[in-house]
Amino acid sequence: MSNILAGRPAAQAASGSGPRPGRRPLSDKATPYLFVSPFMILFAVFGVWPIIRSLILAFYATNGPKSQVFVGLKNFEFLFADPDFHTAVWNTLVFAFWSVVLQIPFALGLAILLNQRWLPGRTFLRLAFFSPNLLGQVFVGVLFSVLLAPQYGLLNKALHALIGLPLDTKWLSNPALVMPAIVLTSLWLYVGFNMIYFLAALQAVDKELYEAAMIDGAGPWRQFLAVTLPGIRPVATFVLVTTTIGSFQLFELPYTMLSNSAGPNNAGLTVVMYLYNNGFVTGDLGYASAVGWTLAIGVLLISLVQMRVTGVWKGEAK
Amino acid sequence: MRYFPFGRAAFSILMLAVASGAWLSLQPAPKHHATLTYWTYANTHYNSYKKVIPEFERQNPGVTVDLELVSLNALSSRMQAAMLADLDVPDIFEMEIGQSGTLFRGPTKDIGLVDLGPRIHAPGPDGAPPLWDRMVHARFSPYTNRGHIYGLPHDVHAVQLAYRRDIFEKAGVDVSQIKTWDDFVKVGRKMTIPNKRYMMEMSDSDATVLEPLLFQRGGGYFDENGRVIMDNEIAVQTMCWYVPLVAGPHKIASNVGYFGQVQTKAVEDGYMLCYICPDWRSKTFENDVSHMKGKMGLMPVPLAAPNGPQTTTWGGTMVGLTKHNNHQDLAWKLAMFLLLDKTQVAERYRATNILPPVKDLWADPAFHERSAYWSNEKTGESYIRLAPEVPPHYSSPVIQTATDKFSQALIDCVHYYNVHGYVDHGDAQFESYVRSRLKLRADQVRAMAGRNPY
Repeated sequence: MSNILAGRPAAQAASGSGPRPGRRPLSDKATPYLFVSPFMILFAVFGVWPIIRSLILAFYATNGPKSQVFVGLKNFEFLFADPDFHTAVWNTLVFAFWSVVLQIPFALGLAILLNQRWLPGRTFLRLAFFSPNLLGQVFVGVLFSVLLAPQYGLLNKALHALIGLPLDTKWLSNPALVMPAIVLTSLWLYVGFNMIYFLAALQAVDKELYEAAMIDGAGPWRQFLAVTLPGIRPVATFVLVTTTIGSFQLFELPYTMLSNSAGPNNAGLTVVMYLYNNGFVTGDLGYASAVGWTLAIGVLLISLVQMRVTGVWKGEAK
Repeated sequence: MRYFPFGRAAFSILMLAVASGAWLSLQPAPKHHATLTYWTYANTHYNSYKKVIPEFERQNPGVTVDLELVSLNALSSRMQAAMLADLDVPDIFEMEIGQSGTLFRGPTKDIGLVDLGPRIHAPGPDGAPPLWDRMVHARFSPYTNRGHIYGLPHDVHAVQLAYRRDIFEKAGVDVSQIKTWDDFVKVGRKMTIPNKRYMMEMSDSDATVLEPLLFQRGGGYFDENGRVIMDNEIAVQTMCWYVPLVAGPHKIASNVGYFGQVQTKAVEDGYMLCYICPDWRSKTFENDVSHMKGKMGLMPVPLAAPNGPQTTTWGGTMVGLTKHNNHQDLAWKLAMFLLLDKTQVAERYRATNILPPVKDLWADPAFHERSAYWSNEKTGESYIRLAPEVPPHYSSPVIQTATDKFSQALIDCVHYYNVHGYVDHGDAQFESYVRSRLKLRADQVRAMAGRNPY
């Protein structure tokens, strides 16, 4: 393998002009490292070093690189005592919960529907449901801030006509309605994206299994439980984990929907928004690093639990 | 390949890297041609400066100015990041009043802005009085920190109330009789039709309008020494007065947002009759709802106390010079040119309706013209009359936390009021609740401010 990589004819090696048998030349040993070195250097400079630096910074109060004061664990003490952080964590958990609970069934249901051969225009519908994802969170945030406007917003007009909801319902300035508005918007944005994963998974399920199940007398529901669900389980696990991680990284959508703020009573404050506000608005990158590390550890723990529960490590999901 | 031991693939990659590296290194580095770089976030400022900067360049041969329009949020974060990390920053820049306080964080020596105090207090050229004596002093308050003045005020932003003159006239309301807030509320109860028409644009979930009304009463978030005062007696009484206007069965105010098409439609439809209106917003109305010409009027802010001001302030822009600047004298000269040059004042005022903070400039005839849009009133004169009364607006590096917390206190109080009722439980109980919530929120700001170890 090393000879092929090095590009030297095997005959040359055999003629004795090459290195002695049993000892690889230095250049052969170095070759793989040389190939991976561009990535490793970039990763070390732009990945590993910032991670290490942020860990160090988490123990400092900072005002740029010029002013840093070591504060030990005070950043973490303040963080865990700060009611705004509690609100941010709670909001993020609520969003993550509803994202998972609503998005995955909706995405799966749509995928099953759009996988039916009898459905006319299903290619167009697939594109239509996927297309919101092409817009990006900022655009969607601005769009929905107009759609959800009191008195004149399209949603209020429609709901007023249909169920008599007051026209001045303030989706984005009533603390109780902010999170439902964000979940609704996120559902519109991401359900088509997850649907594509499920569609791919559904098409990969062996058709013979359905035929065998039908012969055994299984109805559609039984087929779904016994054939479809086990067949798409790896993809479902992937969607579950990525949706959860994505939910914990929520930032742009509420930030733009709520006019660059956390909304009334911090109802739209997420952990990443809390990090941003402290790091880039208040200017304390040390405290923001403490928030970042706390978030990273939290997401890691939740992902580990999810992977454990879904049996990924034991190969059960394969 | 004979002399290259790692094979063709590696050789190709290496050649590609060498070629692209050579190409890049041969490209001339973009040169910073302009002598001064000026960042502004306001389109109106940008358009106005663009017209007059060639004249500054003509007066100063060899000097060029690169004027850049940067979005408000981008400007704030880029300025902060650049100053924190010692990166390239503009020589002179403008910052919105609500964000300027965040630049004053950290030890004084590390603040990336030039202390303008000595220049402001120095006698002007040709025997002119110091700039300090020519300006509205209250406008320096947001840009002053630990005794240093880091920003020049671009404006005064005195406030009046804009109102739908046509609707009031039709209803037989004489606005000249509205002297106090009590008078205003009385008229408001008559004019408000729940869910269809409200007397005033005020929010029950953010303190955007509550804040200037707090300033009018002499309150604020911070005192001149940066101490948190948003839970003092003035704040308590202002909150107790404000909440029943936006909540409960007798509310006279609502809100659909302060900018954009939805707000424009609300103005057109007469959904709200009165709007808090600093000078800059009078031009926004004029531009955004131009067909309301002649239907809109301006009146002074009703009195909150017998001898109190008939105005307050909302918004503002600071002009700052960065320490990185190698041409500080030139940058100051540009700032003075844009602020004081009489030849451009009239045109800029007509384009923006923004009253400059320099009092002797107000004599220009442009400030005394009638405005067809505002029912032929002399709008400039009315703002000039109020400008000296504009209250101070002290700031702090944690100003944004303070505004958020004050809004949260408002939401708490509105919720309490909606659930428990004001009349049923009596004023004292509600007042006690307001006091406790303001204290809670103010303590959170104090805790945040107290984290600063410098």
